[in-house]
This record gives sequence, C-alpha cells and structure tokens, in this order.
Amino acid sequence: MNQSRDPLDTLLAELPRQLEPSRDLWPEIKAQIAADTQQARTPLHAQRWFQLAAAVVLVVASSVITFFVLQHSMQQQVADARREMSQQMQPVLPTMPVRFDGHEGLGKSYEEARAQLDAEYAKRIQNLPPIVRAKVERDIADVRRSAREISATLAQYPSDPLLQDLLVSTYQREIQLLSEVNSMAASTAAGTDL
Amino acid sequence: MNLHSQASDAARSAEPASISDAVLVEAARRGDMRAFERLYRLHSGKVLGLCLRMTRQREIAEDCVQQTFVRAWRNLAAFEGRSAFGTWLHRIAVNEVLTNARNRGTRTEGSPLPARDDDEDAFDNIGDGTAAADSAEVMDMEKALASLPTGSRHVVVLQAVYGYSHEEVAEMLGIAVGTCKAQLHRGRKLLRERLGLPELES
Repeated sequence: MNQSRDPLDTLLAELPRQLEPSRDLWPEIKAQIAADTQQARTPLHAQRWFQLAAAVVLVVASSVITFFVLQHSMQQQVADARREMSQQMQPVLPTMPVRFDGHEGLGKSYEEARAQLDAEYAKRIQNLPPIVRAKVERDIADVRRSAREISATLAQYPSDPLLQDLLVSTYQREIQLLSEVNSMAASTAAGTDL
Repeated sequence: MNLHSQASDAARSAEPASISDAVLVEAARRGDMRAFERLYRLHSGKVLGLCLRMTRQREIAEDCVQQTFVRAWRNLAAFEGRSAFGTWLHRIAVNEVLTNARNRGTRTEGSPLPARDDDEDAFDNIGDGTAAADSAEVMDMEKALASLPTGSRHVVVLQAVYGYSHEEVAEMLGIAVGTCKAQLHRGRKLLRERLGLPELES
C-alpha cells in the first residue's frame, strides 16, 4: 500500500507545525542578547550615524593609504590601469537601487563614492591571493544580491522602516567591503613591491 | 485563540513575507536587532512546536526556544547558509532540548507519560485556533505522541512530523542511523496501538 495512504501518516500530517507560545518570548531574548552585547568589544547596536561616519572614515582612510603606499612604486601602472579599467568597468558596474522613501539624499554622493571605490576594487582584487579573492567576490555578490532583493521588496512595502534601514546598511556594507579590499590589496602590494 | 496569538498573527500579517531569510540573516549579522526579531517572528512557532513535542512541558519548551534564539544570535557568524536557516535553528533547538534534559536529569528512557499536570498544560493549548488544529483527532495524536518513550518520541517528532531524514535525525540526536530507524519503527508501532489504527504490511 502507498505510504501516503497510511492513516497514521495522514494523522501525523495534520499536526500543526507551528505553535503559539503562552507569552511573547522576544523581550527576554532581546534582554539576553543585550546583556551579551554589553560584553562585546564592538557594540552591535551601533546607530545609523555611527555607521555612516564609519563608512565615510573607511572611504577616506582607504583613499589616503592607497595614495601614499602606491605613489612611489606603482604610480605609472595605476594611472595606466585606471584609464584602462575605468573604460572597461564603468559600463558593467552593477546598478544599486538608490531611491526610496526618505533616503533620496544618499543617491549622488553614494554613487560617486561607490563608482570610485569599485574602479579601485576591480584593480586591487587582482592582487589578492585566490582564496581571499574568492571569498571577497562571494561577499560582494551576496551584498549586491541582498540589495536587489531588499529593493524589490521595498517596492511592495515602501513604508517599511526595517526594509529602508536594511537597504541603507546594505549600501554601507558594500562600501565597507570595497574599502577593505582596496586597503588589503594596497598592503599586499606594499609588502611585495616596496 | 488567545490575545497574544491574535496580536502575533496581526503583526505577522503586516510584515513583508517576501524578504528572504538570507537577507535578514545578513542584516542580523551586522547587528540589526529588528532583522533578527523578524527572523524570530517567522521561525519561533515552528521551533516551539518542535521543542514542545520533544519536551512535553511548555515551560521547558519555551525556555529552549529562548535559548535557541540567543544561541543563534551568538553564532550567526558561523551560519554559512549551506542549509536553510530554519533547519539550522532546529539543530540548535534539538541540542538545547537534549542539554536541558541532561541538566535536569530527566532523560530517562521508558517513562510512558510526563506528570499529568505538565501533560495537560502543554497540550490543552497546543492548537493554533484553527478547526483542523483543534480537532479531536489532532488532540488524540498529540497525546499519543506525548505518551511515547523519549527516544522514539524524539525520532518520530523530527522525522514523521518535521520531515527530516534518518541521517539528519541521527546527526541531530547523536545516535546511529540504525538506532534512528529502530526508534521510528517502535514509535510508529506504539502510535498505531494507542490510536487503534490497523497494523499495515510494509
């Protein structure tokens, strides 16, 4: 006899998989997590201003480090590569959604910073060891996929504050990753070439 | 349906359903507590169902659910996305249930039923308010399931109710696959007897 016709399986299949707790457990979970967080080195409840400031600092620091480390040994190469890569990379820079309720102001400066970082990233990534490079590329792809998904969901629920914040933090994460790669690759180049 | 469940249902229905666990997990990894709360809202019901059927005691099951999500938060960085987030949570939940049982010294094979008060408290409100969930057949099945010996019950719950394979169940429970199959056979046989269902030829 077919297993699916077994009355025992039929009864088991009728059991509800989800059950309601007798009370909302989230406040206690949140309290425990908050207690953990206080012990952590970096507070996980960093506010948006802190995140924005951190992103700006990362961008500036990355640019300064890149400039000073590379200007002695790679100036000409960088100039040549930049010309070449800017021609190659700009058309394929993945479009990230930048306009949604209440956050239109991020658009222009974000796109400019991102385009600059992405062009640098396209060159610097070549200098990384294959394993590191594969991980970085996967992380960048994940972030960009997340941004697309959040943006698509935000189009359906434009007033959802969580989705808006997720999109902002995803932008920041992408910039952070690009900056980290640029700094990491610059350090690698300095260690081998200088 | 109690007030809390009505409120939860209302909150859940207002939440975007199409955002994936992967995106929420990624945001939670970056410290976004609201993303993690949404993961909790999406998955806690199923985790509780699993814990309650394994422990048979609501208070302990809810403690396990809490610890599951706290532990999940602590270990989000270790979640690589190879399995579904819900599956990963269930593994943590099973581990919590087993640890809790060991700590309480209650992991004893062969106790046919929990204390009557626990049993009544745990399963009187087990339905989700729908006619199907609250039907007499479902309640009879819940009680028959609760009456199984611990080892068989764990395997039946994980495999027959939540759909995990023998290999997955064996790994979750830390037992051999052969033991898992034997416990499932035993559990199903006992369920048939207690529900008055005919024995089927394989």
